[in-house]
Amino acid sequence: MSNFWSGWVMALVVINYTTILFLFIWASRVDIPVDDDGTTGHTWANGTIREGLNKLPKWWLIMSTLGFIAAFIYLVRYPGFGNFEGVTGWTSTKQLHEQIIDSNAKKQPLIEQVQSQSVLQLTSNKEALKVGLRLFEDNCAACHGYQAQGSQKLGAPNLTDNVWLYGGKVSDVMHTITYGRQGMMPAHSAMLDDSQINSVANYVVSLSGLAHNEGLVDKGKTIFAQRCAMCHSQDATGNPMLGAPNLTDNDWLYGNSITTVKESIANGRHGVMPGWKDRLNENQIKLLAAWVLSHDNTEQAIAAGEK
Amino acid sequence: MKIPFKYFEAIEKRTWLLGILTAAFLSLGGLAEITPLFAAANSVKAPEGVKPYSAERLAGFEVYVHNGCYLCHSQMIRHLSFETQRYGAPSVAEESVYDRPMQWGSKRTGPDLARVGGKYSDDWQRQHLIDPRSVVHESNMPKYGWLEDKEVDAKTLQNRMRALRKLGAPYTDEEIENAPAKVEGKTQMDVLIAYLQGLGIDNKAPANETQDKEVNHL
Ligand code: HEC
Ligand code: HEC
Ligand code: HEC
Repeated sequence: MSNFWSGWVMALVVINYTTILFLFIWASRVDIPVDDDGTTGHTWANGTIREGLNKLPKWWLIMSTLGFIAAFIYLVRYPGFGNFEGVTGWTSTKQLHEQIIDSNAKKQPLIEQVQSQSVLQLTSNKEALKVGLRLFEDNCAACHGYQAQGSQKLGAPNLTDNVWLYGGKVSDVMHTITYGRQGMMPAHSAMLDDSQINSVANYVVSLSGLAHNEGLVDKGKTIFAQRCAMCHSQDATGNPMLGAPNLTDNDWLYGNSITTVKESIANGRHGVMPGWKDRLNENQIKLLAAWVLSHDNTEQAIAAGEK
Repeated sequence: MKIPFKYFEAIEKRTWLLGILTAAFLSLGGLAEITPLFAAANSVKAPEGVKPYSAERLAGFEVYVHNGCYLCHSQMIRHLSFETQRYGAPSVAEESVYDRPMQWGSKRTGPDLARVGGKYSDDWQRQHLIDPRSVVHESNMPKYGWLEDKEVDAKTLQNRMRALRKLGAPYTDEEIENAPAKVEGKTQMDVLIAYLQGLGIDNKAPANETQDKEVNHL
């Protein structure tokens, strides 16, 4: 605030405060003339209502006095009197930082565990998983669902199974959460006609053992080898480098009906997993990775030397 | 000491005088609190590197205001740890210099949106606006699917840019000229999503870049 406005505020505060204080004291001493019957002689409604003379109630006087005292203390302690910062030096930013330090101090034991333990260790740390769940609900559930069961509308995968688009190692999952992922399945409607799409779609669903037209499978297989294998691999088991899903496991991002599969092929798919490095810090990302991986036993199995 | 009644009588018996004195006294608080802020508001400048809304996002802003999204969503993260924990760095005035009208809001039925940009994908935003309950089961946000059938009015958009320029947003003639091309073929849904996806990113104050890390809990 400029000096002018600071002076302006100070002047108004002083005028306001002193005038009210002055009136408060002064008015209580006014000598109001009364008639013999103890009223002021003012009448209304043809004399049925007469104005009496009562003292201000005591509680009201006490409350007002406390009000004056509180206002004075406030102006001394907190910013309010122009540019005067108040003797406590309070600001909302400082208060926020104190709150954060407080809140982190309470969580310090957990923070130390998060920093000293590996993601794998954290997957069996109950305390850590509780916080991981909360972070998941806040940030991820809207796409992956509250039980992390996935959403076929958005192509957000189920995170509770052992099927991974981009690989299920700790480093893969950490990378996915930190930087995000963008699935790129190109549209094929310009390259393939309807009957070709139909054939290859029938081939694709046949791989998962779903109902299909056997007569189209051979033709579909040829097209697949030409157009799809470079991403989904020759045997259609997918490629985690590209996030190209395994098409043989009957586990679907977008759904298993032949219509949905045809849609995927004709129009392409671009599932977007946002990156979180600008929103969440390293500890939080680690907790999320641990929570996600706590549903999967692949990595623990590797650690135990079973795989 | 007794004070004679005549001073009080003079005021009590003249309603107009009582009215004037009451009004004058009540205005003291307002004068002290509001007028300096008017002066301060004019001195708030856009953060370095922050440009006014692109034509597309400005059209989205218009859709946002037009549909009363502000009735349920604030865009103002307060200096309270439980807010920064959920939404990110606290909002500062300079981040909303180009918002006319400003969207701070005072009511949250849904969450604060000041930094929602980039939190979700465009697909999610679309799906959520078409049918909020398809992605968040317990949501009570209304459906806005019909925005997909509505075109953006380019003429109004240009007029709006001219008006904002008068109020200080540095739009060039060229930008105003090109505005219709920027929103051509786009629906109100498209531009609204573009608007949402820039929130907290396109207008981020540099002071908040560093603050972000500090307010991160855990
Ligand atoms: C906007 C919706 C959205 C949000 C929010 C979101 N995700 Fe995702 N996530 C996706 C999509 C879509 C994919 C699939 C990406 C692809 O197809 O390439 C994905 C993929 C993943 C994967 C890779 C799975 C695999 O099989 O390799 C992990 C792990 C993951 N998300 C975790 C998270 C976590 C943890 C969060 C919260 C911090 C989160 N996601 C928030 C949409 C989202
Ligand atoms: C450039 C690499 C690439 C090519 C070429 C490609 N795909 Fe894909 N495909 C992907 C990726 C990546 C995804 C995952 C998309 C996502 O995450 O949104 C995908 C997804 C799919 C899906 C959806 C799977 C599900 O779980 O719902 C089907 C079906 C599919 N592809 C079939 C095909 C067929 C058939 C072809 C050949 C005509 C083909 N793809 C060619 C990369 C490719
Ligand atoms: C009746 C109140 C209401 C109105 C009006 C409303 N919303 Fe919402 N909104 C909500 C509620 C409640 C949520 C939280 C549940 C959810 O995600 O759907 C929400 C969530 C959101 C979210 C997700 C925020 C996050 O961080 O998860 C966005 C984005 C959003 N609304 C945008 C809009 C837009 C744009 C409009 C105007 C077209 C709008 N809302 C109108 C109530 C409302």
